[in-house]
Amino acid sequence: MARGMATSLVIVGVGGQGALTLARWIGEAALAAGYDVRIAEIHGMSQRGGSVEVHVRFGKEVYAPVVEEGGADYVVALEAVEALRAYKYLKPSGVLVANKRVIQPPGKWVDPQLVLEAITKSGIKAYVLPCFDMAMELGSPIYENAVMLGAVSKLLNLPMPESLDERNREAFRRGARLVV
Amino acid sequence: MKNLIFYIHLNTVKILLLGNEAIAYGALAGGVAVATAYPGTPSTEILETLEEFRDRFVHWAVNEKTALEIAYGATVAGARALVAMKHVGLNVAADPLHSAAYTGVEGGLVVVSADDPWMHSSQNEQDTRWYGLQAYVPVLEPSDPAEAYRYAKTAFELSEKLKHPIILRSVTRVSHVRAPVEVEPPSPPKWGRFSKDISRFNLVPAYARERRKALVEKWGTIGEVSAELMRVEPGGHVTIVTSGVAYNYVKEAVRLLNIDATIIKLGMSVPIPPKIRELVKGTVVVVEEGDSVVETQLRALRLETRGKIDGYFPKYGELNTRKVAEGIAKALDIPYNLPQPPKSPIEAPPRPPVLCPGCPHMGTFYILRLATAGLNPVWSGDIGCYSLGINTGQQDLITHMGSSVGLGMGVAVASKQFVVATVGDSTFYHSVLPQLIDLATKKVPLLVVVMDNAYTAMTGGQPSPSRLIPPEKIAEAFGIPAFVIDPADIKTSIEVVKRAVEIVKSGRPVLVVSKRPCVLVATRKARKAGVAIPKYKVEPEKCIGCGICYNLLKCSAIQARPDRKAYIDPVLCVGCGICAEVCPVDAIKGNGARVKWLEVWQQA
Repeated sequence: MARGMATSLVIVGVGGQGALTLARWIGEAALAAGYDVRIAEIHGMSQRGGSVEVHVRFGKEVYAPVVEEGGADYVVALEAVEALRAYKYLKPSGVLVANKRVIQPPGKWVDPQLVLEAITKSGIKAYVLPCFDMAMELGSPIYENAVMLGAVSKLLNLPMPESLDERNREAFRRGARLVV
Repeated sequence: MKNLIFYIHLNTVKILLLGNEAIAYGALAGGVAVATAYPGTPSTEILETLEEFRDRFVHWAVNEKTALEIAYGATVAGARALVAMKHVGLNVAADPLHSAAYTGVEGGLVVVSADDPWMHSSQNEQDTRWYGLQAYVPVLEPSDPAEAYRYAKTAFELSEKLKHPIILRSVTRVSHVRAPVEVEPPSPPKWGRFSKDISRFNLVPAYARERRKALVEKWGTIGEVSAELMRVEPGGHVTIVTSGVAYNYVKEAVRLLNIDATIIKLGMSVPIPPKIRELVKGTVVVVEEGDSVVETQLRALRLETRGKIDGYFPKYGELNTRKVAEGIAKALDIPYNLPQPPKSPIEAPPRPPVLCPGCPHMGTFYILRLATAGLNPVWSGDIGCYSLGINTGQQDLITHMGSSVGLGMGVAVASKQFVVATVGDSTFYHSVLPQLIDLATKKVPLLVVVMDNAYTAMTGGQPSPSRLIPPEKIAEAFGIPAFVIDPADIKTSIEVVKRAVEIVKSGRPVLVVSKRPCVLVATRKARKAGVAIPKYKVEPEKCIGCGICYNLLKCSAIQARPDRKAYIDPVLCVGCGICAEVCPVDAIKGNGARVKWLEVWQQA
């Protein structure tokens, strides 16, 4: 990260997976760490089941609320197909962090293996993490985003957000252990 | 948010706020007493935030016109009032807006209109600022949540000082951006008292002519006020004029291009301060989100500009740092090589917006399809979640709020085709009521279907009047036959709608009300109350892969496996059981008490 420049994240997922909450947690942690923050959300149609995309930028001084194509330091994907859709946002030096979960898009069955292979063999630095499985171990898919938060916070060197409840804290800790 | 309220009573704090929340807190600091709105993305959270403050009059109005009228009335009576809406809502409220400029106001009147460039959740890209020019109402344009907070507060003071309404123009990337904002405690609400002033508040021709003269004169004064909100960031000989959210991209673009520019940021983008003419020499670069509203005004001042008019910046969509850097480089004729964004190794299949699993609209559309089979209807649609009927080919016309019945009547009289007009309950009250009167007096054959889910669902579940004033009662009062169906009861409902279709075929209008609350509200309430939600499963050995459940019903919890057999995602299934009803071979089975769940749901 060049001095004065912001870190840019694009967070994607499928409606209902908690991408917005994940972005807010990262924003909260960045603010607590003393950074300026912008989170660009999209509300409205497709509350469940549609593609969701949230942009987060933090740094000493941030102006633009959105990340342009080729401008993201990190793409964080709660779902693997969405990881591919958001690929265009990555800088050549960018990092892709993807949940190892495929939620089938309507109408067309995609081979999960093919999707995951495309991510790992794409040539950019990629982490494919079992956030969904880990969340299920904790008892519910709703912990998926907190597991991802743990991993991403570790990569970004951000603290655990204060607003997490105990279950999510546990998910966070397990997620953080996924990236060593 | 509850915590926030606690904190702001203690002292000033910096917290992450959505632009819309910031506007609400700015209004509270500005002593707002009356706040009204009709929900619409990206404006909804403004009133949602204000709703928690019970010492004010806060109201979700039936439409934007009523919302503005209540606020306008309050300010004529000396109170401070805010009205919020999305950009297209301002069309609905345009009449009182123009009058408010003629009469002026006593208490501060702030009209928040949130634009949606690139139409994330809208039917057009209209730029609110034109209304400022058209109606002679000044427009404040905040660039981020922190400024939105300050401008909302300032707007009340300014409006009261000028005795004139003020438009606060937001955009998606201000309203729906979260950023640190310093929040002060709310000021007490400022109420008022109406003082009669016949020649001012009665816009009959004799008085209106005088008001018009006064208005034009006042507009000159407002131009001077505009200068107070202009900020000049001195730099090199290149001058960039910008406003609103575009300012952020300019700041990042000049750093990226490594140019030393003087940046003039307008806080009030309508009217621009005539004084700006003295500040610039030569050509200015103009960067603004939306249409060329600032640039047009600059040209009227005889300034040479390079902005959207001559295509230096794109005339559609949202700006971003890349587009602005590209535009500035082009305008200044300096080289700039953009790095190409990387291409995904394989293309991601589209995931278009779909109805939520278990959405009652899904059942309604399926019922309508079967009950109108063979008629090849024209589907006259409307704005709301049910616009997604487009996915099953059951929306042919979606143009604006309330278009369903009006346009449907036009199509029916012009073509004699069978027309189904589908409209949600909130939209029904918002703008279909007057059309229903025309439908009743003219007796146009039209099948009007009110998809009554008891909430304004698409904007997050604001209240709808449908339980207090049921659509079927209104239709009956108008002499239009009405039928009520339950979209989860497929078989019975098809028979009822078939009867309605027969009446339409005989040349008369009919209203069908399909009643079942929004599934998101229902599941939320069930979870809180600890009510068990059944899950449905496909028995693969029985499934024949006909596709009725995933192609015709199109439940988004159901996918086709490679062998065409259906698969229900257990995480997504909400146990409506509609798929089990439509399955021709009884291959879908639930694991719990559907009847009980549907009962609880109906009460949500």
